[in-house]
This record gives sequence, structure tokens and C-alpha cells, in this order.
Amino acid sequence: MSIWPNHVLAESINFKTSWCHLTKWGDFRLAGTAYLQKFLKMISQKNKFILIPIITLFFSACTKGKLINEEGNLVPNTVKSDATLPAITVNGSMFHAETFGNPSHKMLVILHGGPGSDYRYLLNCKEFASHGYYVVFYDQRGSGLSERHSKSSYSIQVMIDDLDSVIAHHRTSPTQKVFLLGHSWGAMLATAYINKHPASVRGAVLGEPGGFKWQDIKDYVGRSRDFHFSSETFNDAAYQDQFITGNENDHAILDYKHSLMAAADGAADSPIGNEGPLLFWRAGAVVNKALFDIGEKEKPDWTTNLRLFTTKVFFAYSENNRAYGLSHAQLVSSAYPNVQLEKINGAGHDFISFPTGWTNFFPKALNYLNSF
Amino acid sequence: MKNIRYLFIATFLIASFDSIAQTFNWHDLRREQRHILHLNVSAEYAAAYGAGYNYRLRSKFPIVLSAEYSFPSGNDITDDFKTKIGGQIDWFHAGNFHFVSKIHGVFRRYQNDYARLLNFGSDLSGIIGYYKPKWFVAAEVGFDKAIVTHFKHTDLYKQNFPDIRDGWYEPSTGGNFYYGIQTGLSRKKFDVYLKAGKLIEQDFKTSPLFPVYGQVGVNVKFR
Repeated sequence: MSIWPNHVLAESINFKTSWCHLTKWGDFRLAGTAYLQKFLKMISQKNKFILIPIITLFFSACTKGKLINEEGNLVPNTVKSDATLPAITVNGSMFHAETFGNPSHKMLVILHGGPGSDYRYLLNCKEFASHGYYVVFYDQRGSGLSERHSKSSYSIQVMIDDLDSVIAHHRTSPTQKVFLLGHSWGAMLATAYINKHPASVRGAVLGEPGGFKWQDIKDYVGRSRDFHFSSETFNDAAYQDQFITGNENDHAILDYKHSLMAAADGAADSPIGNEGPLLFWRAGAVVNKALFDIGEKEKPDWTTNLRLFTTKVFFAYSENNRAYGLSHAQLVSSAYPNVQLEKINGAGHDFISFPTGWTNFFPKALNYLNSF
Repeated sequence: MKNIRYLFIATFLIASFDSIAQTFNWHDLRREQRHILHLNVSAEYAAAYGAGYNYRLRSKFPIVLSAEYSFPSGNDITDDFKTKIGGQIDWFHAGNFHFVSKIHGVFRRYQNDYARLLNFGSDLSGIIGYYKPKWFVAAEVGFDKAIVTHFKHTDLYKQNFPDIRDGWYEPSTGGNFYYGIQTGLSRKKFDVYLKAGKLIEQDFKTSPLFPVYGQVGVNVKFR
């Protein structure tokens, strides 16, 4: 039984039903003025305190809006629901993937960062196809426009197995040379793969991996996210938590929230030194959280077999990333027995994506690859 | 390292002595004191500042109506804000123990380089406390619900996803529970209070990026 008089409840129901059919902010304002006058008059003889729960009831009863957890509203569809996207199915999952160049040429597999980013920000690497390479891009499991899975299904091993399957899928002959180009988390994945399969890779281009041991990764991530608590960048990242929340496997919601946070990477006070925000298709928030949780739990070390990989590795770090620098580059790259360490001037962490960084990176990386 | 920094900041705010908005010493709230102004500094999702006005009704139960505005710090102090309108009732007391409930309608705004969000929500909480004339300590539990949200995206974001659908999204786009303690001192027409606690999302598993809250504030009571 309600504690509110019936006429008050009836009026409030009419009030909210009408409002639920309005979709534009201008409509809200016009209707709001008229309704508010009527409503305030209605309750003027009663205790004004009843206004509060009625407004709450009104908003909680509306059902006409778009659904935040529906694919295609705030985030694009993945390959599972958009057949127009280029895709491959390997290792029991569907991946957004593209290739450029002659399939019989030396294969160069591009591994994006994150975990949970996508390969859109690395599309400059298509240029390798014009220089004799078969360039393979794919959005990793749970990332970009690739298929989503439950959080508990992700593991480092399955990411390594996916890479192995992608290589096998595109390989046109057993003698085809395979090179990996990994950026950030992608360089860590490349190293985890080489550590597992040292004989399967002919060479590797690695761009600012956080580390190959968990503590190095934590240290770098901490420095790269070192925003002042009272800064605009911090509140842009944190304040949204009161607007949007999602359950552990609400991919559309969590991916959207993660996308909003990506603006921080392009902020002027970001330590990573980018020239602006990156282009992306869709963030993979669940795989990102899953792999960080696994890292925290398992504390991985992907250097245990690297001594067997005696081939020279191209290791690049950027001039403008204050969180990285020469000392961290030397620390991380020292896990490989044979390293070509290169500083990319005039660029930040995502040097592959911006003109100055790309101009300074591409010739060096190409020379390295051509040396094989 | 970052978590330690956050804890340090939260501890500092707590130690600097104050509480969350609309926190009163119910024992010291005299019938003739009808107008209450408050100012606060908080760490609630982000560093924020707030001010509000409260009006005590002439009613059987002690009822205080309130309106509050707060905004997070940063380069642009107008792009994000939160307003609350509502009230709180001191339902009953046994000796110095009081049971208080609060209900507020919330309107808030968020903006970054990618999107602008407008949200209508509600904030409901219950407080059980021990109130003496010159001090109080209480525990609170509450739920902040983001009921309906309007999304509008910038051209920068539409470069990433041109077909994104702006507009009103519902049902609920989110919600967070909070629980914590509040305490304060009262002298003449002033309350100085401190409030701190923990935030957790409505799935009871996920923590917000800044998972604790703290607030220090001062109330000034007038006739």
C-alpha cells in the first residue's frame, strides 16, 4: 500500500509516461516548464518533500531509451555480428584480420598494444607491403573488432596460441620467413611467443614493451599513468564511474568506458608524450582487465628461453615518453642476447602512429628487416 | 605505487578533518536553526569541491531539505559537475542513537574530448549514529544510481565510430554502493565533519577507478 495519496501517484504516472516519449533535449525543456508548473501547483498544498521520491520514481520507470549494453549503439559490432568485416576463424575464435602484400613474400605479423587495443593505430605498417613484405594485421582475442569471450577464458597461453594459429593460417610455405612487429603490449606478446617458440621467428621489431617480467611491467605502467590527482586528465578518467558501470562480462558497456579513458593518452599532461589521441575501432576492456589480473596473479617472466634466440632484435624507444627512457629500454632489452637499440626522436610512445615518429622509425625498421 | 598515492591522498583529506555534504549533528540541530549552509572538499570519484544550502522544515520529524552543487578539480571546472536536491529525515532516536535516511535526486554532467554525458539519478542512504551535543559518530550505507543518461559525442570520437548513436540511454546506465563512517564536532552554530568510506559498483565485484571516498566540510547554522 502506498503512503502517497492516489491523485498524486496518478498525476506522477501521467507525468512520467508523457516524458518517456520525448527524445530531444529541447522537447524536454519545453515540456518540463509546463509540467513543472502544473506539478508544483499540485503539490503546493502537500509537503514538498514528496517531490523527491516522485521524481525518482518517474525516472526509474522510463523504458524508451537506447540500451547501453547493445552492440552497435555506443561501440561498433564485432566480426561476430557484422559479416562485412574482414575476418578469419582460428584457434576456436573469430578474429578481425587483414593482409597486405604478396602472400609469398616474407611474412610480417603486426601485434597491437593494450592489451585490448586494435590494429587501427598501426596501419602505417601497411607500407612494409610496398617493400616486399606480406603484412598481416589482426585484432587480438577480445580486442578491437574481434570476437569477445568471458573474462575467465583469457590467458597468456591462449594469446600465444592465437598468434601461432594466425601465422599458420597465413603461411603459404614451410620456408616462408616470419617476422613479428609488436608495439607496447604487442611487443610483450611477441617476446612471450619467441620465448615459447624461439625457432619459429626469423626476427622481431619491438616498440616500447613495458617489460618482459611482471615487476618491470608494473613499474612502467605506474609511471605511464602518473597523473596528478587533481588534474583534468584524472577526473576525465575517474568521474565517469558514477555514470556508467557494467558487470564483468558486459563487453559493450565496459569497452565503451575504456574507450572514453583512451582520451587520457592524448592529453598534454600524459607522460607518454603522444602528439594527440590515437584512432581506434573498439577497446577490449575485458581482455585488458583479465590479462592484468593474470599478470598480478602469475607474475609472468617471458625471458627464460630468450638466450636461445640469438638473432638480432630491433628494439625501439621514443624520445618523448617520459615514463620510458634509455635506462628502461636497456633494462628490458637486455633479456635478448643480441639487440639493436634505437631511439625514435621527436615522438612519444605511439611513434608508429604519428608522422614524425613514423618517418624516423620506418627506414630503420625496414633496414633491419631487409638485413635478413 | 599509484594505489599507495591514492590512499595517502585520501588519508590526508580525512586527516584534514571534515565530512561529506549534508552531514549534520542531529542532536545539536535546534528547532530554531532553520537555515544551514555548508562547504566541503571531497575525494569522491575525483578531487571535488562542493557547497549547499539546507532548510529545516517545521515538521513532526526533523526533516532537512537540501540542495547541493559540486564540481571536480581540473583545468576546466565547468565541464563536470553534480547537483543534488532532496532531503533527509531523522526518523527516530533512542537516547543518543539516531536513525536517519536520505534521498536525493541527482543531476550530473561529464565531459571529456570524446563525449558529454548528462545523467539523472538518485542517491539513497541510511545512517545510524551516536549523537552528543558537541560531537557525533555515525555509519552510513547508500546507493547512487545513474538512472538515465544522455550521450553526445564529439567529432573526434566519431572519427573512431561514425555510426555511434547519441541520445538518451536507459534503463539504468550504472550504480555504485558506498559505505563508510562519518564523524564531527559541533560548536555553537558550526559543525565540522569528516566522512570516509568505500565505493563498490552494483555488481559487488568491481571497484571504481578511485575506490574510496572522503569528505571534509563545515556547516553553518542560522535562525
